[in-house]
Amino acid sequence: MLTVCPYFHVHQPYRVKKYRVFDIGEDTEYFNDVSGTDLDNRFIVEKVADKSYRPTNKILKQLLDTHPEFRFNLSFSGTVLDQFEAYAPDVLESFQELVATGRVEILADTYHHSLAFFYSVPEFKRQVQKHERRIKQLFGVKPRVFRNTELSYRNDLAKWCEDNGYLGIMAEGWEKYLGDRSPNYVYNPPGCNKIKILLKNYKLSDDIAFRFGNKEWPDWPLSADTYANWIHSHHGDGQTVNLFMDYESFGEHQWEDTGIFEFLKVVPEMLLRHPDTSFKTATETVQAYDTAGVYDVPDILTWADTERDLTAWIGNDIQRDAIAATYRMEGAVMQTGKRNLIETWRKLQTSDHYYYMCTKWSNDGDVHAYFSPYKSPYDAYINFMNALSDLKLRVDHAVKEKELSAAAASSNSLGRPVAEITQPSTEIETEPEEILEVEEKQSPKSRPEPTDEPSPLSNIWNRIKKLLPLHKLKQKPS
Amino acid sequence: MKVLTFSWEYPPAKNGGLGVACFGLTRELLTAGIAVTLVLPKTQPWRGDARVLFADTERLVVADRQADVIFGPYNQASTLIESIIGYDLHGQPIYKSRSILEEAHRFATQAAVIARLEEFDVIHAHDWTSYLAGVAAKIVSGKQLILHVHATSYDQAASDNVDPNIYKIEKEAFELADKVVTVSEYTRQIVVHKHGIDPAKVEVVHNGCDAEDVIEQLPTLVELKRQGKKIVLYHGRISIQKGVDYFVRAARKVVDVDPDVVFVISGWGDMITQVIDQVGSMGLSENVRFAGALWEEDRDRMYQSADLFVMPSVSEPFGLVPLEALQHGTPSVISKQSGVAEVLTHALKVDFWDVDEMANQILSALRYPVVREQMVSEGRLQLLGMSWKIAAQKVKQLYQNLVQYATS
Repeated sequence: MLTVCPYFHVHQPYRVKKYRVFDIGEDTEYFNDVSGTDLDNRFIVEKVADKSYRPTNKILKQLLDTHPEFRFNLSFSGTVLDQFEAYAPDVLESFQELVATGRVEILADTYHHSLAFFYSVPEFKRQVQKHERRIKQLFGVKPRVFRNTELSYRNDLAKWCEDNGYLGIMAEGWEKYLGDRSPNYVYNPPGCNKIKILLKNYKLSDDIAFRFGNKEWPDWPLSADTYANWIHSHHGDGQTVNLFMDYESFGEHQWEDTGIFEFLKVVPEMLLRHPDTSFKTATETVQAYDTAGVYDVPDILTWADTERDLTAWIGNDIQRDAIAATYRMEGAVMQTGKRNLIETWRKLQTSDHYYYMCTKWSNDGDVHAYFSPYKSPYDAYINFMNALSDLKLRVDHAVKEKELSAAAASSNSLGRPVAEITQPSTEIETEPEEILEVEEKQSPKSRPEPTDEPSPLSNIWNRIKKLLPLHKLKQKPS
Repeated sequence: MKVLTFSWEYPPAKNGGLGVACFGLTRELLTAGIAVTLVLPKTQPWRGDARVLFADTERLVVADRQADVIFGPYNQASTLIESIIGYDLHGQPIYKSRSILEEAHRFATQAAVIARLEEFDVIHAHDWTSYLAGVAAKIVSGKQLILHVHATSYDQAASDNVDPNIYKIEKEAFELADKVVTVSEYTRQIVVHKHGIDPAKVEVVHNGCDAEDVIEQLPTLVELKRQGKKIVLYHGRISIQKGVDYFVRAARKVVDVDPDVVFVISGWGDMITQVIDQVGSMGLSENVRFAGALWEEDRDRMYQSADLFVMPSVSEPFGLVPLEALQHGTPSVISKQSGVAEVLTHALKVDFWDVDEMANQILSALRYPVVREQMVSEGRLQLLGMSWKIAAQKVKQLYQNLVQYATS
């Protein structure tokens, strides 16, 4: 008995448009490029929808209809779901149709495709919860198996997932931690007794995701028949072959002319030909098998590069500076209680922004190894830091305003002269304060967080605003 | 393998990048076992171990003038230079004016004489003032000719008013040559598209950069730095090719945002008056300092004291200055219209005409110190890979290929 557990990761970031020093304090939109280039988020989503999402979903739906045994998993970032909703609603519907078959499982994730777990566990938790609500809203399901951004993993992440009720978690099956053992079994993290780890079989996964269209590869061109034989050869020395890859491998990373779609159309049938081979979703897999041992990962493990670490994201000084600057803002951002500021800050946590600043390739001259819509890692950094600087100004302004409004409220004198009350920021002009989603109670271990609910004092400030149309005073000429 | 090399300038004479490049390349070719005989137009002191001949004194060449001539390779062909052709009864020198073009022709005549007497396998001539000499040597000897392009008439004129005399020499010489070597892909494109040369004949050999032991100099502009001012440096000739006027326009935009930035312009050239006027009319006198032409320790001190270096060239075949600045620990904003932009990853790059972006990059680099630190730390590692040794290996291979074709 051998089962195959595929998972396809669907993600698009909100790329930061060209944002110069001169724009700081002037332009509060960072993601609204409309140039029709690789910084134009709508353009990218529409392009990838045509090349990958639409044709691939069509094939996946046919496969589900034809083969009642076919099963797989999907993971979505919240940022890609938001962009589907805005730019390609039909793509979102086609994903909903897949999930409605009951044979496609959705995995848990961070909403903003962030590395928050390694910088702020409370923020990480909020993003996971936000993701869960969004999945429930769009697909009507609750994820039970967790995968983290870039498949990043560490023992304490598994522990967190166990503590938060997940049955399983995904990780890279890497020799450094596996030793002589096979990735084709289910393992358990040290110190955990319930949660199980599903390990990516990177060789068989990357044969599709990276090597499929490479004419230099000795096994090119890869037929579905050959590939199925490779998987079948694991009968007897494994229980589950976990194939984890970017969804965009189909049609975007591997173009249509590589034959990837024809491959996808027939490979499930080829696999099912062997009588003892079947498909399982992630939850079915962790429930079906006992663990074969402990997979002990004390340092961060990812699915990237030959190092399988985070150096592509936080390997150089500008990357570490940018990500540290982002998370340094957490306290102030949350203190504002303003949804648009919090959401913008989270969009800037998406790991892609830091990836674009990678300089790893520069020393071996492999300039094509890292894709980026920016001209250079330094341009990416400057652009990002300028946008972040603007956000910081807005956040600082909002915090100050909140403190002053609290002071104004406590003085309880509505008749004070206008000039003594701070001028409202543009945040209030453009975005009325909203009641933020109610967060679950913090676990006792995490540090206390400022509540997202508007304080009674700010409610008073809202009443003052209604009495005095102060926001008219500071409106920018449009 | 014996090579007869023609160059117009050579260290220690203080000139542009041509002499520095010829020196670095020659030194490494000698190390690689190539016997280089270097022919210079006039008698001068020289550095290094190459065998040197002077076209004004050797053998049958009529020495009709002595050495008091300064050749500038960046002049127009018609620029007059004076040379001493003899002495009068009172011992006073007699001058005669000649154009550089005439000098280049004279160099060629002398090259033909030398080429008849010398033994060599390949001819290698650097820049337009030596192309005619290289061609003459080829005609006389029948040996293979490599022309090495360090600059073109298009760079010096920044595309306007290309000197037709220089262009004609370049084009005809390139057509006669067996190989044309350019110092960058940027320059290769000019040779292919502007001169119409077969791309298969044109090879890129990027310049190297000698890793020197940097000597810490006493800081300069101390008072400005004490006041918290940030220093942005330009160092180079002040001519239309170098784009200093774009630098000044970017400075205006920078100062509008951050008045605590001081721009230092180090260098001299035919555009200096225009640039001084521009600084005045843009109201930048408080923020722009003219340092004059700095050399050696003074230049190094300025490199070390600056927070950021800018090379705004309109057209730069290679561009050594950002690499020099980097050796002294100062990162750069460099023009994309340059050869060095092809080999230096760790710099901010901008189209010279995009003064908004140039100002944005200057302001951003000053605002976020980490980006400057990283461009220096990673850039210095990259410098180690840009040696003249690598350039010489490529040139040696070209020699070997040419000789092989000529004898088979």
